[in-house]
Amino acid sequence: MNSAASLLLWLALVAPLPLGLLAWLKPPRRMRAVVLAASALPLATLWLLPRVGEGALQGSLALGGLSLHWRLDALAALLLLLTQLVLLASAAYAVGHRRAALSGDVSHARFWPLLGGLAFALGLIWVAADLLLLYAGLELMGLCAVGMMLLPGKAEAIRAGLRYLIYALVGSLAWLLGVALLLGAWGTLELAGLAAVAEPDATTRIGMALLAGGLLLKAAIFPLHGWLVPVHASAWTPVSAVHGALVVKASFFILITLWRLLLPEAITAAWVLGMLGASAVLWGGLKAWRADSLKQVVAWSTVGQLGYLMLLFPLLAGTAASVAAMAWQATWLQLAGHALAKAAMFMAAGNLMLSTGASRLVDLAGTSRRLPLSLMTFGIAAVTLMGLPPSAGFTAKWLLLQASLESGQWPWVAVLVLGTLLTAAYVFRVLRCSFVEQAPRHEFHPLPRGMDLIPLLLALAAVGLGLVAEWPLAMLRQGGVS
Amino acid sequence: MTVSLAWALGGLLVILACCCLLDRQLRRACLAFIVFALVMSFTWWQLGVPWLAAAEALLGSLLTGAALLHALGRAGDVPRLPQRDATPPRGTEAPAHWLAALAWLVLAGLALAALLRSGRLPLDGDVELSLVPFALLVMVLGLWAFAHHRHLLRRLLAFNILGSGVFLLLAGLAGPGPEVQGLILVGLAVALVGSVLGVLLLRRLYALEESVTLEPGAGP
Amino acid sequence: MSGAFFPIATLSTSLVAAAIIFLLPEGALRARTVLNLAAAVLKIGLVAWMVRGLSQGQTYAVEFPVLEGLAFVLRADALGIMFAGLSSLLWLFTTIYAIGYLEDSPNRRRFFGFFSLCVASTLGISLAGNLFTFLIFYELLTLSTYPLVAHRGTPKALAAATLYLRFTLTAGLVLMIGMVALHTLAGDIRFGQREILAEFGPEQRGTLIAIFWVLIAGFGVKAGLVPLHGWLPRAMVAPAPVSALLHAVAVVKAGAFGIVRLVYDVYGAELSQALGLLTGLAVVASVTILYASLRALAQVELKRRLAFSTVSQVSYVILGIGLFGPLGTIAALSHLLHQGLMKITLFFCAGNYAEELGIHRIDELDGAGRRMPLTSLAFSVGALGMIGLPPLVGFLSKWYLGTGAVQAGMPWVIAVLVVSSLLNAAYFLPVLYRLWFCPGPDHGVGKWPEERHLGRFETSSWLLLPALATALFSVMAGLLAGLPFTPLEWATRVANLEYLP
Repeated sequence: MNSAASLLLWLALVAPLPLGLLAWLKPPRRMRAVVLAASALPLATLWLLPRVGEGALQGSLALGGLSLHWRLDALAALLLLLTQLVLLASAAYAVGHRRAALSGDVSHARFWPLLGGLAFALGLIWVAADLLLLYAGLELMGLCAVGMMLLPGKAEAIRAGLRYLIYALVGSLAWLLGVALLLGAWGTLELAGLAAVAEPDATTRIGMALLAGGLLLKAAIFPLHGWLVPVHASAWTPVSAVHGALVVKASFFILITLWRLLLPEAITAAWVLGMLGASAVLWGGLKAWRADSLKQVVAWSTVGQLGYLMLLFPLLAGTAASVAAMAWQATWLQLAGHALAKAAMFMAAGNLMLSTGASRLVDLAGTSRRLPLSLMTFGIAAVTLMGLPPSAGFTAKWLLLQASLESGQWPWVAVLVLGTLLTAAYVFRVLRCSFVEQAPRHEFHPLPRGMDLIPLLLALAAVGLGLVAEWPLAMLRQGGVS
Repeated sequence: MTVSLAWALGGLLVILACCCLLDRQLRRACLAFIVFALVMSFTWWQLGVPWLAAAEALLGSLLTGAALLHALGRAGDVPRLPQRDATPPRGTEAPAHWLAALAWLVLAGLALAALLRSGRLPLDGDVELSLVPFALLVMVLGLWAFAHHRHLLRRLLAFNILGSGVFLLLAGLAGPGPEVQGLILVGLAVALVGSVLGVLLLRRLYALEESVTLEPGAGP
Repeated sequence: MSGAFFPIATLSTSLVAAAIIFLLPEGALRARTVLNLAAAVLKIGLVAWMVRGLSQGQTYAVEFPVLEGLAFVLRADALGIMFAGLSSLLWLFTTIYAIGYLEDSPNRRRFFGFFSLCVASTLGISLAGNLFTFLIFYELLTLSTYPLVAHRGTPKALAAATLYLRFTLTAGLVLMIGMVALHTLAGDIRFGQREILAEFGPEQRGTLIAIFWVLIAGFGVKAGLVPLHGWLPRAMVAPAPVSALLHAVAVVKAGAFGIVRLVYDVYGAELSQALGLLTGLAVVASVTILYASLRALAQVELKRRLAFSTVSQVSYVILGIGLFGPLGTIAALSHLLHQGLMKITLFFCAGNYAEELGIHRIDELDGAGRRMPLTSLAFSVGALGMIGLPPLVGFLSKWYLGTGAVQAGMPWVIAVLVVSSLLNAAYFLPVLYRLWFCPGPDHGVGKWPEERHLGRFETSSWLLLPALATALFSVMAGLLAGLPFTPLEWATRVANLEYLP
């Protein structure tokens, strides 16, 4: 039973690689079949979900003298499901995107193996239970992400991609240095073993600081977010969607996992991280509000929204168990809601830009009449980002507010309020532009129906998740805050 | 391997790193890096990890070296990169880079001091441990070069040297166990892919805009 | 089973209608009209069924957990169903009116889609069974009214919509913080579980008072309490059916209804009185009533005058809440309905003048009674009702407010009532005078700003009939006040059944 589940899990993790290669080799018309085949993967995860409810699925792989540990608990399984769904959606979107935007562009075929690699890397990160496996996943993810960002091949894409590459590489060296210190001090890479032996002494702290530095850089947390926006400005829409929704979150996931194992009681450091998050919320919101082009708005909004996740650190460190539980649930709910909504938003923005042929906000005038569905999708996705009911963002914000009030950490209440208002400001700035009626008529290119439908489904899922939040959250609670 | 051999190898590595990072003649710098990687490979061999030595020779020296030289070569129909780095160095502008480098060094130094004081590591006579100061020096050089240079090829070189410094430190602190070998192998593979990707992009960027830096408008 | 079915079905009629409307192409006029009307009629039927079932003692409720210790609750209680009945009835008329009003205008799909979402939110507000559910629909209402206010896409409309958002979104946040604080203090309070807060000891009183005023600040924006009313007059640039919606059916009502729920179903009238909250409410309401009436006097545009009149009239509801005792409660609840009937009539008429004759300013109304007698008659009914002339419904509200004030031992409120009635008369009677007694273009003096002949009657029958119907309803509600299922009777029933031991 257990081995069957493990086998299925690894099949589901590895399957994207051959699928990606297949899509690469096959002519573009066949990609739909590959996407269809990949839709079996979320089903596998759904089958696994109830089985990890009571106890985590775990094991190790032996490679020579080296054993690699993995572990699938409820959180990992839920994140895996989220990943598979978002990747599947963007793969399906990419089929239409190629037809509408890039017909004749041969470089599009390279998208598929990279997407497969990214799917494998993300899966690896969710289930990894030692630092080596995490390292491998992190690096594979980073390289695949850079590769995807570079596909358009324009000068600004290359420059942004190079900057991203260099930052990602330096970030991984910082990570590796941190791992070196931990390994030197405690002699193990396995997370459970590390948690058992490691004490929060100076070496652990510094090692963790280096790890955190590398991860914050990769997660584009303020003030290390500089590479994020230019990279999105020129990337293809499905790539932006995957990146904004998942890639930056994986680094956050690793950070919080390690933090809770190694330094659960470091209150000052946790507050520093919380303040970084707060600054990210405000700065990202302000920049998104002032941005001129649609994609920049969405990209800056990612910087801002990631800040909410960082509030978890101070709410976990040294607070009551009930507060910690609430913050824990809120963060993962926020992460999931944001992932779905951000993917939807990038796709909707991409649709708007593709069919108007313009990328500036002022060029959106009249779109509410001509492209109501894309705009509606944008609006529904924005509901989640603003944290308005009944979306996942709202439910998460409710929990975060409750946790902040209960623990008496008042600054975060202000951050949540200001962040919401800023988000509303930039979202409605976009919508307002689209409502303008006296404007020169644009040519509107029709898009394949699927390209409208997929982001709409994602956005609705993000909204609906707020109402059915109890289902995943109960599973999270069952797994405990560990 | 004896401690004196370790010292000799460490010294050689530092000298080669200097050659690689200071030379404006790019081909020479790349060749210096290849030699540097070969010495690294020899060091692994001396530490008793022949597999890692082979991997370093193949991935680090041969393939990464070939990729770096490819940037300067004639292959393909894209224009050739200039053979000399003519961009002015960054100097004291971009303080964020310098601050980050400094923070990195300070953190690494403090951690090492704490680790040595804690007595959890066997202190003297240990061959691996005698590599640590050289690893630190190599890291200093790599960080300095990374913050200082604008030319993307030189930054890639700096990144590779910095990475090697981290590997050395890793081996010096934790000994050449299987975990360390695994980490270094992944690191080598990443460095290789990163270098190849970087070089290809650099050539493309040069072909499109005749630029070898990240700043738009700053020509070669 | 049927207990869960009806609330969900009532809610989903408009949600499904909205979804279908968004999917229909812009040109599908007839399908959209049929769908709109069918959904509105079906909704009235469902609400009427629940009214019947409720008076026979059935319960309609559905709930599921959203978070640990927090549930999404839909429940039809007497108070909620009263509000639901009002909104679904007025909805039908507003829909008919909007169909006529927007004939040949662009973006009708968007308009009616959000229109239906808006009614779904209002129904959700009325059926919400706890503050959390209430907040969900309250914010949905904000979102779905934004496109309606911005509908015309002119710079003025967009600016008004932005202002509207600034007010309502901020208020939503304030409300949310208050609710979370209350939830942290006392857990999930279902509407009607007044004993939870009543059991708190005196050391928690300060917190309770603070939370109450935070929540009132949140509700007060939509309810248009001075000084939080700034968005309302500006939102007048929206099309007339939207104004009717904002003022009579959905938005300001949602705010007032929220305060009703807060005082009667969460804190309970007794606790509110004991904490001294009711007196505070009465003072705020009195200030709003007088200030807004004074501002209304100064307006030259008809719709702006009506807007300030709304600000002042909705505060009668708040004033009624502030009067501790059954009579005050009856006044508050019945005025919630009465004001809706009268105000929607007035806005329909204002829209008719604007559409048929191009009239926007009050001084252009001279002699319009001759050109549009039925519309003017309806307008007069609404205006006289607002002033409080017997036997119209407005008189009933004021009567109960007055007696309630005596019962609550706040005789100064009577002075407020008298002054405000005088002010009401001062800003409505000149309009009526101009309508009926000043010579206008039909007497050969001057000319209408922009006359169109929209229908066989004085204007299009889509526009005329809703106005007449709501005027008739407000006359009937006053004349037949003692019969079952009239607003007053139902309000009395709610007050007696639920709020008095």
